Amino acid sequence: MRRTAVPNILRLIYRNVVVNTDPGSLIILIGLPAMYLVFFGYGFQSLAAAGGSSSVYLSYLAPGIMAFQVVMAGTVGGSMLWADRRWGMLSQLLVGPFTRLQYLLGIMLTSMLFGLGGASVMLAVAYVLIGTGPTQLLAFAVMYASITVGSIFFGALMLFISALVKSNTAYNSIQILLIFIVNFASTVFYPLSHRLPLALRILFEVNPLTYVANAVRGAYSGSLSAWDVYEMLILCAETAVILFLAVRSYMRSDVSFE
Amino acid sequence: MAIGSSAAVLPRNDGSGPVISAEDIRHTYDRRHYALDGVSFTVRRGEVFGLLGRNGAGKSTLIKAMTTLITPTSGSLRILGRDPVHDGQGIRRRIGVVQQGESFDFTTVQGNLDIYGLLWGIPRAERRLRRERLLERFGLGDVRKRRAFDLSGGQKRRVQVAREFMHDMEILFLDEPTVGLDVIMRRTLLDSVRDEVRRGLTVVFTTHNLEEADYLCDRVAVIDEGRFLLVDTVENLKRLYGGRKTIDLTVGDGDADRFFSALSGRLGDRATVTPSGGSAVILTDDPKEALSRIAELSQTMGVQLEWLTVRKNTLEDVFLRSVRHGGEANGGP
Repeated sequence: MRRTAVPNILRLIYRNVVVNTDPGSLIILIGLPAMYLVFFGYGFQSLAAAGGSSSVYLSYLAPGIMAFQVVMAGTVGGSMLWADRRWGMLSQLLVGPFTRLQYLLGIMLTSMLFGLGGASVMLAVAYVLIGTGPTQLLAFAVMYASITVGSIFFGALMLFISALVKSNTAYNSIQILLIFIVNFASTVFYPLSHRLPLALRILFEVNPLTYVANAVRGAYSGSLSAWDVYEMLILCAETAVILFLAVRSYMRSDVSFE
Repeated sequence: MAIGSSAAVLPRNDGSGPVISAEDIRHTYDRRHYALDGVSFTVRRGEVFGLLGRNGAGKSTLIKAMTTLITPTSGSLRILGRDPVHDGQGIRRRIGVVQQGESFDFTTVQGNLDIYGLLWGIPRAERRLRRERLLERFGLGDVRKRRAFDLSGGQKRRVQVAREFMHDMEILFLDEPTVGLDVIMRRTLLDSVRDEVRRGLTVVFTTHNLEEADYLCDRVAVIDEGRFLLVDTVENLKRLYGGRKTIDLTVGDGDADRFFSALSGRLGDRATVTPSGGSAVILTDDPKEALSRIAELSQTMGVQLEWLTVRKNTLEDVFLRSVRHGGEANGGP
């Protein structure tokens, strides 16, 4: 990469953060998962207690909500590209001193930054609500590495979709549907049960968010297994594929809004 | 005073060769129809080069090709001595582009200028200096804290143009920059561009407004259906008509078509009659004779003359004639 590429990408990241951090976006990005953590955490904890379970649901949910940040970050990435097309800034930036790839990397890295930032906020909220949390450096390293890979995966996925879709309504509909399915067909809120119907179980097991949630939860609770590591390796491979597809479709896409 | 910066003052038309050189450029979006169909031209440093043409004539496609947004299907194009296909970024670092469509970041007017300056790597202190200068120059001080999207059409246009001057450049591409501007702001913008041109900036300028082209451009190209019909200095194009004058004529109730047809026959090769409804534009070397024929014929045919003026040719006449007659601006009827 050329010498000027790094400052160019840093400038683009700065611009993406400044342009996309209005209060409304922050509420959705941070506020919504935090509300999940509070309402679902306390609500389902009561239910679990009523059923005689001794487990602490909040401790289960907190790492799940941290993992959920990767989906939120991905949607921010897709929305940034979409908004830049919609408001004419994509073509304006691409007649500026940047390459298409630098622009794309700028968005990907901004998504990642939002993912890591959001997960950190969730971790802090979890500390406050639960009163305890991970302390080992390795646990933090695994959690943040998982969130980094997950953010890149979902960022690339949303970029891929936003490069292909031609209408704002279609993009928003796909985004809402995708968030719902990815979120609730994963181990973010509940563990994978063998009593689930087979089709649903497969959906859980192939959902990349499940891999991120399992890895973060394993690190958070100090119970990281070889299976979690194996899942993360699969996620890395999937991320490479989706990243390739996103870059290819974006490089070929028309930069003007239609 | 330069609007943007302290860029080095370059001599105008310094003979250092063309900064834009295009040879037989063709571009098709659908493999059937050519948006650009064999365009060749050069632009010298410090020159203001105007592209005149109707909607869909190929102006914006040509701008997109020159600013590296699209790769021409065939032909040779060099911008600042570089090949856009292989060194697009090297070109983009040295040009500025004001596109036809709106383009803003979702922030305030001054935020838009600031972020844009930052993207171009302008240091903070210099950025602030340029921003303040530009806000004042383009009359945007009062709306600096309003979101760019909330502004009126003319104000938005001013923001877009002002924003481009946040960075240094060697060539500025202006794609219909004055659309929506009032007379005063239009003149402010054109004068600002002129100031920069005096300091060595090269400008490629597309417009529908031929008065603007007359005011600003050194040379103009008339483009239609992807082809250049004429490329010359404004003065030469006007001179193409020699001593010709234009007569604008409107006739009252009666058979206007028959009248103009008869008039065209009477004037023969000495004039060109271009009718449009009840009016016609007549180009002639001998306005006295044409006037006498018009008077004579109107009496004979009982057609009332409602409006008649004789004037010098304008760039608009050149443009209309070249587009209607496929580049034969100096040709006969």
